[in-house]
Amino acid sequence: MKRTFMKLSMTIALAFVLTISIAACTNSGNNENTPTNQPTNNGQTNTGTTEEAALNPDEPAWKLDTSPVDLTWFVGANWYPHSWGESLNSKYISEKTGVNVKIEVPSGEANEHITLMMTSGKLPDLITMGSWETAVKKLWEGDHVYALNELAEQYDPYFFKVAGDGTLKWYRQENGNTYGVPNDSYSPNLMHETGMTAANQTFLVRKDLYEEMGSPDLTTPEGFLNALQLLKDQYSEYKGQPISPFFAQGNVPYGMTEYLQNLLAIPHEKDGKVYDRITDPDYITWLKTFRTAYERGLINVDFLVDSDTQVEEKTNNARYFMMVREWTGMSAVNPMLAASANPDSYYIAVDGPQNSNGDSAKLFPGNMDGWMVTMISKSTKNPERAIRFLTYLVSEEGQRDLFLGKEGETWDTVDGKPQLKPEMVQLLENDIEKLEKEYGVADTYWMVRNPVIVNQWRPEKAPVIKQMEDFANAQADIDSGIYKGLDPLGDSEAAVAWSRISQNWEEVLPELITAKDEAAFDKIFESFLSRRDGYGFAQVVEHRQAELDARKAKMAE
Amino acid sequence: MFQNKAGTVKHFFRQWQLQSMVVPGIVWMFIFCYIPMFWLIIAFMDYSIAKPVLESPFVGFKHFEDFLSDDRFWRSIRNTLGMSTIKLVLGFPIPILFALLLNEIRNIRFKRTVQTISYLPHFIAWTIFGGIMLNWLGEGGVINQLLMWLGLQDREILYNSDPKYFWWITYFSDTLKETGWSAIIYIAAIAGIDPGLYEAAELDGANRWQRMWHITVQSIRPTIAILFILAVSGILGSNFEQIFMLKNNMNMRMAESLDLYIYNMGLVSGRHSFSTAVLFVRSIVALGLLFLANYASKKLTGDSIF
Repeated sequence: MKRTFMKLSMTIALAFVLTISIAACTNSGNNENTPTNQPTNNGQTNTGTTEEAALNPDEPAWKLDTSPVDLTWFVGANWYPHSWGESLNSKYISEKTGVNVKIEVPSGEANEHITLMMTSGKLPDLITMGSWETAVKKLWEGDHVYALNELAEQYDPYFFKVAGDGTLKWYRQENGNTYGVPNDSYSPNLMHETGMTAANQTFLVRKDLYEEMGSPDLTTPEGFLNALQLLKDQYSEYKGQPISPFFAQGNVPYGMTEYLQNLLAIPHEKDGKVYDRITDPDYITWLKTFRTAYERGLINVDFLVDSDTQVEEKTNNARYFMMVREWTGMSAVNPMLAASANPDSYYIAVDGPQNSNGDSAKLFPGNMDGWMVTMISKSTKNPERAIRFLTYLVSEEGQRDLFLGKEGETWDTVDGKPQLKPEMVQLLENDIEKLEKEYGVADTYWMVRNPVIVNQWRPEKAPVIKQMEDFANAQADIDSGIYKGLDPLGDSEAAVAWSRISQNWEEVLPELITAKDEAAFDKIFESFLSRRDGYGFAQVVEHRQAELDARKAKMAE
Repeated sequence: MFQNKAGTVKHFFRQWQLQSMVVPGIVWMFIFCYIPMFWLIIAFMDYSIAKPVLESPFVGFKHFEDFLSDDRFWRSIRNTLGMSTIKLVLGFPIPILFALLLNEIRNIRFKRTVQTISYLPHFIAWTIFGGIMLNWLGEGGVINQLLMWLGLQDREILYNSDPKYFWWITYFSDTLKETGWSAIIYIAAIAGIDPGLYEAAELDGANRWQRMWHITVQSIRPTIAILFILAVSGILGSNFEQIFMLKNNMNMRMAESLDLYIYNMGLVSGRHSFSTAVLFVRSIVALGLLFLANYASKKLTGDSIF
């Protein structure tokens, strides 16, 4: 009897536990937000009564309500390592504004992650996503995010004062609304003025090898092949491991296509028509040079197949000789190599492949689109706090707090100019990780970083980094930002055609490089071009042209 | 098993505590497997995530025509079938053999150790295991070094850059990772065999091979049949994570499976209707294969799922 009772109660207990856990799953989403509702509702009623008097377009509205509130902030980069609330700076900002941020990052691809969230209808309060992602457009079109201008009118007109009119206009949609604020957005005027172009595409070589080889000319196919031959004959090993002669960042679609074309200064436009850069004779010549190099065993195809970890390992051990690579990606490795046992094994920017005229590279500068855009979702329970927080962050005060931190603790005013404390500068050079984790200043929270404002506070960079940056700045083609990302995105017919074409190109380019002779190369390329037409390339061309014309019109405004 | 219906019902209620344990499973399946089936209708619509499903326009078989006329779709079918066939023909018997061999080991301690070690890789996620595989297959990797040391090749080969190796890489890495885990079900089946059978056979003079073949294998035959039927119905499926980790631009020609095709052509550009259409067809084919394999198994061995 006792045993059956035991069994029975166990079953009931088990069933109970199961029910609880199911219930817990379904409810947890709502539970999280309940405690935070309380203070904000109060806040709303308070400001509601005094709204007319309190909202002053010359005065930031966040000061009206600094009661604690939680905002979730989705940062669309799965590699984003930082959290909010642990670093000194984030604590300071939370204390000041009452806003406690909970940062969320996607586990996989940001685009998919946010698309899934859209389907479920529950989005984080603030969303930062790459401006090129298809999901951004869907968020706007699907009315999942607030029009910032409307929110600002209602809750914080100070926003119009601080959000640069140019960028607001740049992102204004046909219905007259602006849904996002970009970070790292550069206008051509600004770049001309300051010489800071945000160009980061460089051609890098390992300094010691390059100099030992007598600084060979890498700008012509012959020079390039000769240097590779010399490398193979004399320097094929480093620290007991084989040297990888060549690397191209972002594999086929980026490093070997757009990036290489920029190094070759291939025009984007000819006589007002978007130019088909892939068929440019100079570009083809260089692809054939890579084919020859492969045929002679001077390069391997490791740069086409290596995983990110393998690339990282080779980079950290200075096992590459040449790299088509953004210098920003080297800003941690280069100082490390310069401080290693072989202090000359770091990378320097030099002139890489050039076109037959010997023109210097025309690199992409920063552009108006910027890097990522930040939006406020309609799922938020605190739209007024969200817009006020966003306004604060994009204002000069917020930019200063984000970049420099708290006065007296992480920065001081020296000669009337704010400056990071020397120990912060020290960390910035040697231990960025610690700086970002413990202090949370500089580029830790870059979600709404405005280069116009923060660059004035940047300390001088280490020489091994500055060399690359200066080189890129000198070769930036400031007015070419307008050509970036003309390709159709999303699920329109032109976009589907383009995704089929570009995915096919990713397979074709390796075939070109490994083709057994030039005739085979030509044949593969011809068949790619005809396949491209079959996939609907005409629509892509049409879309690119329309997009370019629209951008020009916007610029002219 | 039961004499009549009344007996079944009575039996059911007598075990109500046990029977009720299956309820959460049924609820789960209903919510996550049956309700979503309704949304297959988006395969016939131009669904965009920005709008509610039912407001999307009907387009009939447009998406089906789209992929059926795409040469890349057929290439992905070929790759999926190729990889699945290798896995089915060469991969399916391996856990059975492993379980049989393990069963013959008399030293319990050694047996347990081998079993534990062999199923540990199962718990490593493919993202990590795939990374390890890539390192092994790289120029300076274990596999190249081993083969060169054995004198089987004279220089390093970048195995994952040549499409012709890809199917075999998926087969070997899968076998390496999953053999121990897949063997568990057979080991469990073997453990349920009445030891009396072995004793009787031994008295009758059966040797170890005969006992293994006539008792062990025959006893786990239903288990083998069921798993085989399920494996056949899954022939159009592939291990997405595995392929996603191991593929690259150079081996894509042989690597793009149906799942990867759906991902590349559908999800990457947010074409949910298109992806659903492909999945829809795949599920129907899988269902057909399930019936076929079940029928064949019933005829050949007498064991079947239904």
